[in-house]
Amino acid sequence: MNTHTGDPPPAEATTTRRGFMEYFSWLLLAAGSVAAAIPILGFFLGPVLKPRQDEWVDFGPLADFPENSTRLVDVLNPLREKNDGMTGKLAAYVRRIEGESFQIFSTHCTHLGCPVSWFQESGLYMCPCHGGVYYEDGGHASGPPPRGLYEFEHRINDGRLVVKLGHLPTLQDPGSADVSGETS
Amino acid sequence: MKQAIGKLLWWFEERLELRTSLWTVMRHPIPRDLRTQVGWLYVFGSTAMTLFVLQIVTGIGLGMVYVPSAGEAYESLEHINYNVELGWMLRAIHNWSANGMVVLVVVHMTQVFLMGAYKYPRELTWMVGVVLLLLTVGMAFTGQVLRWDADSYWGLGVGVAMVGRIPWIGPELVELMLGGPSVGSATLSRFFALHVFVIPGLLFSALAVHLYLVVRKGISEPPQPDEPVDPATYEEKYEAKLKTGDPFFPDVFLRDAAFIGLTLLVVVGVSAILGPDGPGIPPDPTLMHVEPVPDWYFLPAFAVLALSPPSLETAIILIAPVIGVGIMLLLPVFSGTGQRSWRRRPVAVLVVIACFLCYGVLWELGVQEPWSPHMTAWSGEPVPPHMLKGLSPKELQGAAVLQQKTCRNCHALDGLGGQRGPDLTDVATRLTRDQLIRQVIQGGGNMPAYGKELNRFEVEALVSFLETCKPKGYAAAESSVVTDRAD
Amino acid sequence: MIEQLFTSRPRRRQKPLCGVWYRLHGWLCVLPLLCCAGCFDSLPGKPTEAERYRRPNTIMDFATLYKTHCSGCHGANGDWGPAPPLNDPMFLAICSDEELKKILTYGRPGTPMPAIAKQHGGALTDAQIDSLIAGIRKTWGKEVTPSDPPIPKYLPPEAAGNVEAGKDLFASHCAGCHGNAGRGGDMAGALNDSGFLGTVSDQLLRRIIITGRPDLGMPNYRDAGSKPLTSEEIADLVALLASWRTADEGLTNETDAARTSE
Repeated sequence: MNTHTGDPPPAEATTTRRGFMEYFSWLLLAAGSVAAAIPILGFFLGPVLKPRQDEWVDFGPLADFPENSTRLVDVLNPLREKNDGMTGKLAAYVRRIEGESFQIFSTHCTHLGCPVSWFQESGLYMCPCHGGVYYEDGGHASGPPPRGLYEFEHRINDGRLVVKLGHLPTLQDPGSADVSGETS
Repeated sequence: MKQAIGKLLWWFEERLELRTSLWTVMRHPIPRDLRTQVGWLYVFGSTAMTLFVLQIVTGIGLGMVYVPSAGEAYESLEHINYNVELGWMLRAIHNWSANGMVVLVVVHMTQVFLMGAYKYPRELTWMVGVVLLLLTVGMAFTGQVLRWDADSYWGLGVGVAMVGRIPWIGPELVELMLGGPSVGSATLSRFFALHVFVIPGLLFSALAVHLYLVVRKGISEPPQPDEPVDPATYEEKYEAKLKTGDPFFPDVFLRDAAFIGLTLLVVVGVSAILGPDGPGIPPDPTLMHVEPVPDWYFLPAFAVLALSPPSLETAIILIAPVIGVGIMLLLPVFSGTGQRSWRRRPVAVLVVIACFLCYGVLWELGVQEPWSPHMTAWSGEPVPPHMLKGLSPKELQGAAVLQQKTCRNCHALDGLGGQRGPDLTDVATRLTRDQLIRQVIQGGGNMPAYGKELNRFEVEALVSFLETCKPKGYAAAESSVVTDRAD
Repeated sequence: MIEQLFTSRPRRRQKPLCGVWYRLHGWLCVLPLLCCAGCFDSLPGKPTEAERYRRPNTIMDFATLYKTHCSGCHGANGDWGPAPPLNDPMFLAICSDEELKKILTYGRPGTPMPAIAKQHGGALTDAQIDSLIAGIRKTWGKEVTPSDPPIPKYLPPEAAGNVEAGKDLFASHCAGCHGNAGRGGDMAGALNDSGFLGTVSDQLLRRIIITGRPDLGMPNYRDAGSKPLTSEEIADLVALLASWRTADEGLTNETDAARTSE
């Protein structure tokens, strides 16, 4: 190379060589960036890319649930993480209509997710936030909720009630038992 | 000795050259018009910034003792409140200066809006300011989450329920927001990261741009009526004003100094008297007696969500904020020139008044929560004894039925009880016996139907009690249509 | 410029008015701060243990429990509520703790008294119910002077009451206020009314006949008639009232019409 003499290199040679270098440099930068971006993006999108499905949880023997009554049952969230502490708990209302006919309701109001309270005396669920009210069968009774309470899928195994739950139900991703919620 | 220190400083100055950079910025000229009383309106921005700095200092302190883990955060907050020396005070200052910052940012924006300071050539300053407002609100919401009590737990639930309504991608966004299928350790950690790293970082960057623009484009002079902004001539006029301007530091800054000092005294005083906020009820999803309420600045939104018609609700939740922010951001594009003085901008003044009125009214409603049932009224609010005097045994039983069937959760007697439904103290002057029976059994008008929950004896007793609910000397309601009862 | 600031600016020194104060003025500023640091713990904003959250099932204080769970029906001070008063020494003297616990735990089916115990859909734990009962006794229970004849027993005698005997007793002891055949009088309302009888238990009727409603002015078993009622006579009266309670009669037509047609 005669660069030290101060003469510019022949134009043709520089164009091709620099052209290649330029192309190669950009390519290298792009490849490196993509290589770094893939795991980072993957990490941030993790909860969406690998969503966790609801799991079956034991709610106890049928004898715990008197017929024609509704009870609040505390369980541990099957999808809880190690450090969840008390937020790893979960509550659901269990209504035993008769025999093996049950309804399992989420405690989340379908309006904006506040905790509904059950009143056995009047057979109503009431929400403290915006005054949503539901009937005993989960149907919408009054207030702003757009549908009845979210319900969970359940079955009876060896005389024990098991319920499929875990994720926080929202309007477009309701409880595992996908009912219209317009029971009354 | 003195000379030695001087030499040392000079050594640094030779290398840093602050005389020509920082010092000129500190001494940048401010129009003389600010010398009058109106200058006191220019102190809010710098005070809001000072509170932000205070937030960072106290936040660092809290960061040293707070444990951002879903299982331990609540206990660590109690630890800070009760065991850490002056921990409660630091939490209180952090909380109250956050409240102060929200207030001052809004006051600052109002002042800028009313004085037309967002107009040419400071449009971008305003837009960045809107971003700063949003980031401040973001800090407020994420900070409320870190309090990790029932209010923040269910507050997250409300946020999730709103996000979950976004069409198509709602459920995915919910999982992203929570970091998993439900509120838990991943949720707290990501809100911690947002509150401590992401949003403060953005806030710092935006603040830097904001300040750069303020210094670069100069502080807007107090507007005079009938001196409209014309991009062709404004710069020239402003330059002329600056020729006779006062240096920002220390002359003009004195006012800021005084107001900042006063604000800090108020923040510390309020903190010492009122103490920290919470933590309240623990974030335990099995505790059903919680009645979640957002922090005060979100109360109007809380009220809107209770009062909006169901058919419009999703639109209001998802679209209204976008429109609101869009209007604010684009405001200087639409009205970037022309009159600056509020005396010549009646619409602007009306808009400000309307906004504050709406906010105030909705806020008051949010405090009252007339739409929320009082969950313990049925068993905890006695029937006023004067309403029981002289009742027959059946009517007395009716009052007991009224209590037991949780009617009081929504209906007050003598003003005590829920406000959701009408007060029943004088219901007999409004409804006849037949109407009462029908209302109880069928519900309607936002009242659930109790037909399935009451037997005929209970209905009879309840209605006979309600028939006695009228003030002395008032006539009972009469049916407008006399029906033939002989059928 | 900075160099000049630090090296060459002449310092103006005012002669202090008082030398000692001047020399100490730095400390005088610091002193209040030190005082403040010392008394931070006594500031009103410092959270106290009392403000710490307590789970509802750990609240044992009688006044709080009563106010939240009972006062709605039984009145703020245990009387002047629609439900029978608890602030009634005679009732507390004849009703045993076991009986009270049974009522609180299971409620009184068919009456407005709900079950309070958690396992039966209420809100309170066993320990809280015990604390509630102890509190009721401590607050309102009084030694009742032994009377002759003794106060009739709370629980009814085994033999069923006699309706015919009840009619005579009603005429002599009750009709004065509640009217002939319990149809209501000037002093007190009707008893012969399914709206009333359909929402009360026989046990409640018995209890009210024994204790009266002192808050509302209804006399007790001793003062109602010329001579005190005995346990058996009360059973007869209850039997009479129970015979008036019928499933299908006594209701006004409007109620039925509303329930079936609309």
